[in-house]
Amino acid sequence: MKIVHKAAIAVLLCAVFSCVFARNIAPAGYEQQFRDEAQAGPSIHHPLGTDDLGRDRLARLVYGMRVSLFLAPVAALLSTFLAAAVGGIAGLCGGWVERSVMAATDLFLALPWLFLLITVRAVLPLNLSPASSVLITFALLGFLGWAPAARVICAGAKQVLQSDFVWAARARGCGGLRLVRTHILPSLRPALAAQFFLSIPVFIIAEANLGALGLGVAEPLPSLGGLVSELQDLVMLRPEPWRLAPLVVLIVLIGSFQVLLSKQEVHA
Amino acid sequence: MLRSLLLALLRFLVLILVAGLAGATLVRIAPGFSSDEQELNPGLSSESIQAIRQARLADSNVPRFYLHYLYGLLHGDLGKSQSLNLPIRELLRDRLPVSLRNLAVALLLAWSVGLALSVGVFRLRSGWFAVVADAGGGTLISTPAAVLALFFLIMRWPPVVAVGLLVFPKIYRYSRNLIQDCLELPHVVVARAKGVGPWRLLSWHVVPVAVPQLVALVGVSISLGLGALLPVEVFCDLPGIGQLAWTAAQARDLPLLVNLTLVVSCLTIGAIMCCDQLRRFAGREAA
Repeated sequence: MKIVHKAAIAVLLCAVFSCVFARNIAPAGYEQQFRDEAQAGPSIHHPLGTDDLGRDRLARLVYGMRVSLFLAPVAALLSTFLAAAVGGIAGLCGGWVERSVMAATDLFLALPWLFLLITVRAVLPLNLSPASSVLITFALLGFLGWAPAARVICAGAKQVLQSDFVWAARARGCGGLRLVRTHILPSLRPALAAQFFLSIPVFIIAEANLGALGLGVAEPLPSLGGLVSELQDLVMLRPEPWRLAPLVVLIVLIGSFQVLLSKQEVHA
Repeated sequence: MLRSLLLALLRFLVLILVAGLAGATLVRIAPGFSSDEQELNPGLSSESIQAIRQARLADSNVPRFYLHYLYGLLHGDLGKSQSLNLPIRELLRDRLPVSLRNLAVALLLAWSVGLALSVGVFRLRSGWFAVVADAGGGTLISTPAAVLALFFLIMRWPPVVAVGLLVFPKIYRYSRNLIQDCLELPHVVVARAKGVGPWRLLSWHVVPVAVPQLVALVGVSISLGLGALLPVEVFCDLPGIGQLAWTAAQARDLPLLVNLTLVVSCLTIGAIMCCDQLRRFAGREAA
């Protein structure tokens, strides 16, 4: 294993570890305000300083990372499930069903994703609670991100359908759901797993873009996107470079995913 | 040939119509469609709020709205923006050329840098060059478009370069992998064994095989470029269709959103289909 891959795995493990033990790393919590120390610089108590409302930046970063890192896989699971259903049905049925489903997939693939995302996200209710906003944001990512994976799954399903073991199973009278459950799905599992893992960094970046555009997770709940949106206070970046920490963390996390998934991306 | 072109045109029209209807339906069924930010304005009387709600209800029936819209479209009327109170045709006429110009420059930059780097990796065979190119591409892929747009705003660099930099990693990675795959083809291996020089190998043996797939990537890069253009236009205050989409999305302006969906669909699906036809033609030529 290359050293870069080892480093990427170490980074992701550290991130997951800090997310799981967020309460121990930042006992203050993400919404506790230290009113006497608003906009403070780094100190022993607040290693990344505090924000305008006196909240600990490190706590917000750790909890924000937890939101993004735990919910992006959930969204990826949703989109992979949809892709498996749509792509699988298209591949297994063939004919006009496949043509129609693939035309819809092409349409989803052709439309710029961010464009579609902001269109739908922007028409959500104005008075969303933070918990609803985070769930809706990641659910939208899951619902709108199935198209690239569906194409791969459709091609895979068609290929599996033509393989010898499926012909043999059919000849023995195995058909319908049993054929799908016992022969086709297990063969598609590696492709589904690859699509699932490829979707995670894409969704984290998409959430960050939505957050930066002000359509991400609602305050006071932090997410990497929401924290990145604070960089819009351009004047403060030069005297307070520690404000860049969420961006650095985001780039390192996505970079680690990219390093680990580069081979899968090529083959997908 | 003519039949396949006609079929492609028919497919294009159907996809465009479906895209418009899907955009209108998505916006309509979203839970916040019935609420309007203007309703929160304390200065408005209850009659004004009622009028806003009535205006919004008029668009609530998606099929009727869409049929009415298509009828207008056939007569050259794209409707009126609810939020900007201007004819959509005028808005598109002003904004579309700006976005297209920016997109063209950005894609030119992205393709030049992406192809130059992948050829450089092949030609120089230097591990460091590949590491630097990969790290640069990886960093840009890992950076949200909005953040890069902000960075360019701080540095006062041309925003169009940000769009180019956001698209370039995909082109670089794809073309690099493509060149790598082409180098393993039997006829290329034989040519290398016979001592054909790198430039001749690239231009005579690799390029003819790679061109059809690169042509297909042109269509995809247009879609990627439009996606990257949106946040860059919003943050860098460029008066293009990305900024217009953002304004329309924030104001829940259904007529404008449907028109923009159609325009973006026309651009991306048209580009992808043209590239697909070109790819088939180039593939036949290469064969």
